[in-house]
Amino acid sequence: MHDRLDHDSMKDDPRKYDPNDASLAAALRALPASAPARDAWPELASRMRRRRAARKAVWFTLPAAFAAGMALTLAWPHLHRPAVSPAFTPVATQASSHAATPAVSDIDTLQASSQQWQAWVQKLDLNGAPLDGRQLTQAVALQDRIGMVDLQLSAARNPSTTADLWQQRITLLQQLGLLHLQPYLVATHRPANNDHLISM
Amino acid sequence: MRPFGVLVHPCVVDDMPANFQQAVEPDLIARLQRGELAAFEMIYRRFERAAWTLALRLTGRPDIAHEVLQDSMLKAFERARQFRGDAPFAAWLRKLVVNEALMQLRHDRLHVIEVFDDTLAVDESPAPWMHADAATLERALNRLPDAARAVLWLYHVEGYTHVEIAGQFGRSVSFSKSQLARATKRLRELLQPQLQQVEVTPCTIGSTTTP
Repeated sequence: MHDRLDHDSMKDDPRKYDPNDASLAAALRALPASAPARDAWPELASRMRRRRAARKAVWFTLPAAFAAGMALTLAWPHLHRPAVSPAFTPVATQASSHAATPAVSDIDTLQASSQQWQAWVQKLDLNGAPLDGRQLTQAVALQDRIGMVDLQLSAARNPSTTADLWQQRITLLQQLGLLHLQPYLVATHRPANNDHLISM
Repeated sequence: MRPFGVLVHPCVVDDMPANFQQAVEPDLIARLQRGELAAFEMIYRRFERAAWTLALRLTGRPDIAHEVLQDSMLKAFERARQFRGDAPFAAWLRKLVVNEALMQLRHDRLHVIEVFDDTLAVDESPAPWMHADAATLERALNRLPDAARAVLWLYHVEGYTHVEIAGQFGRSVSFSKSQLARATKRLRELLQPQLQQVEVTPCTIGSTTTP
């Protein structure tokens, strides 16, 4: 990089001595220095702390995102089962579901899994980056659907329906979790816009 | 010669150095590279005025200079580990400020770049800046088009070559030369009538002059 502090690097641009040029350079250099009207440090320090916190959140959430991705991959075939509301389940289906009634332990497992996903989503919600308007709308819609499932769960008596609803709840929580991770996934793939300018 | 003394800008503080010629101790740089905020505050305080002044001269606007100061310092902190020490730290920091200022100008206003004739005649008349006071020169500087002012400052004060300026702007060397010639000519035009006015009515400069 060229550095005015030592003038040797002007070799690629030999300047002819021009008294007007020299006097202009001297006049410009003699201009008094100024300082910002207000102390800019508090704002700068606050920005640095926020960015550090966001970076820490990324390091916290990336392993979680990886785990979520793995879980989603494993659960993918189950996630695309049509969500069936118990209120509209045909009688024949109900009858057939009786044939393969899930054990109480299965429902307990689903319940525990749902709790874990919910705790994860809550952590992301507390520590994560703010969602933009579109993501916020999606998050609210997902939370509404989870609320509906909770309502149906409170009224469900059939073990098969109950298991199905817990599974739906887990799927919705996974989608909500991924929505909270989107800002980080976008941020980690965004290129720096002026890195090429720094060449030292 | 400054006939009416130097006009003192309200922001000017004279008890701290305001240039990039200060050395930074290696242990302070090492602490910065470890991410110590206290070390960075020391470096920031040391170069705040220099960075601000450079940003203000290049952009011509305090609000943009504020953004440049903030963003370049933030980058200095976050990229401190990229500093390899093969040039003075101050020069590295100054480069960050120049890059940031030009980037801001590119985003905001540099797309409106006046195209000048390369064949401007050399003006042999006496240089008016030799007799202008600091405030007058500063005002005239701020009235120059953004690209012209930035080129003028980079060339005459920061010591950039035309090749380097062309590289910074992503333009040709003749662009840099023509901007410089135009900036010089325009500065001359801006200062000339003011000086004439000063010669006729020397007491109308204003109340902020210092004897």
